[in-house]
Amino acid sequence: MITAERKPLEEIIEYVRPFGKILLVGCNECVTVCSAGGRKEVGLLSSALQMAFMKEGKMLEIKEMTLERQCDPEYVEELSGHINQVDAVLSMACGCGVQEIAQRYREKPVFPAVNTKFMGASERQGVWSERCQGCGNCLLGLTGGICPVARCSKRLLNGPCGGSTKGKCEINPEIDCAWQLIWDRLKALGQEERYSDIIPAKDWRPSRDGGPRKIIREDLAS
Amino acid sequence: MNFQKKFASGEFVFLAEMNTPKGVDISEMITNARRIKDRIDGVIIPDMDNGVMRMSALGGAVLMRQQGIETIIHVYGRDRNKMAIQGDILAAHVLGIQGILVVRGEEMASGDHTDARVVDDLDEEGILRAIASLQKGIDLAGFELKGTPKFVTGCTLGPYKDDDGLERVITAAAKKVEAGAGFIVTPPVFDIDRFSILMERLKPLNIPVIPTIFLLKTVGIARYMATYEPGVFISEQTIKRIRQAPDRELECIKIAGETIHALRGIAQGVRIVTLGWEHRLPTILEYAGI
Repeated sequence: MITAERKPLEEIIEYVRPFGKILLVGCNECVTVCSAGGRKEVGLLSSALQMAFMKEGKMLEIKEMTLERQCDPEYVEELSGHINQVDAVLSMACGCGVQEIAQRYREKPVFPAVNTKFMGASERQGVWSERCQGCGNCLLGLTGGICPVARCSKRLLNGPCGGSTKGKCEINPEIDCAWQLIWDRLKALGQEERYSDIIPAKDWRPSRDGGPRKIIREDLAS
Repeated sequence: MNFQKKFASGEFVFLAEMNTPKGVDISEMITNARRIKDRIDGVIIPDMDNGVMRMSALGGAVLMRQQGIETIIHVYGRDRNKMAIQGDILAAHVLGIQGILVVRGEEMASGDHTDARVVDDLDEEGILRAIASLQKGIDLAGFELKGTPKFVTGCTLGPYKDDDGLERVITAAAKKVEAGAGFIVTPPVFDIDRFSILMERLKPLNIPVIPTIFLLKTVGIARYMATYEPGVFISEQTIKRIRQAPDRELECIKIAGETIHALRGIAQGVRIVTLGWEHRLPTILEYAGI
């Protein structure tokens, strides 16, 4: 999933301060799963904003909505009946959702209420870790299903740096050493010999380095 | 007199761009530099020009210094992060390099190492601010330097295709000047009247304006630029002139020389770009009357 964290309330307050009526829009997808911008968080932020402004003696009218998917024009269209009744939109979706609203409703200001963080997985209740950088050319088949690009602090492709201690990264002891994980996994699979395979210098073209990316499926594109 | 003093005194400055070799054979570069040494005020050394891997600008500039030529190096953010950029800037000062031209690096996809990773830690404005900070003795992390570098720092006016585009690049240029740029290099100039209008627009920046003189070399290049770089305004008349000339190569050189000559008194100098034809620089300068 795409993970996110809510921005500090002070920053959000400054975004919406000039307005009297806003639309606060959550998303039912990734940001709901990582508890950053779903229906529940929309309600919490709405209350927090109203309380903050009441303290200042200012009234902020907030209309709350949560779309099925904010990155999908079909669902963003649902805002069309409400958009003219507000001065601005505050989005709790990831950056994709914010931009979808900006693109569809060009004359309405839209502000992000969350910081989009990374593509990751849930480790345990309340803990999410980065798993994928979307490099566009997946190496997981060579590294036992553990990604050195996303999970090694130094993005090393051919074994560890030598700085790890007890399986933890020297840069951050709370992070597992990706190459320890890869070695353990290859051993469990009985594929230790793969550890000595040389992974060539990575071609970064399929990643963001080749410019903003697009997928066009000719069989589906209309 | 060095180009820094000429900038300050308002004298016309002749700068020639000189590329480093792709390899370690520096003989051609040195020979070309010696030919023009006494006729120009300095050379500009691009860094991996057009995204092509070659000897670094810093290395090339040191070679020019060894020939007694003043140098300006290109600095951009595509290949280096803020640490590497600052480190190279400190090294440049110590190695006797007097000027920095902050440019936008060509897209990786246009170069010869298209699979390389892009850095883009600092944009042009960020680099200019980094240079300004280093010149005050503080690095970007806020730490004090032991000895401070000093440079003449310039920026470029981005390419533009129409009036809207011109507005945008002038706004961007104003930001770069505010960030510390002390001179500005324009896109190639072929039409003096149009350039005079541009000069008026750039006046509020209140810094020396250095137009680029681009050696066309062939009718094909002229036609290509006229089609795909409409902002440079190469007229049909110019293309016809090259096509009908008995010696087209020489005609291109004459056009470059004549343009330089015409710009004296309008701009505060020129940057002559020959893209691998640095051996023709002396002839261009002859036709420019230098």
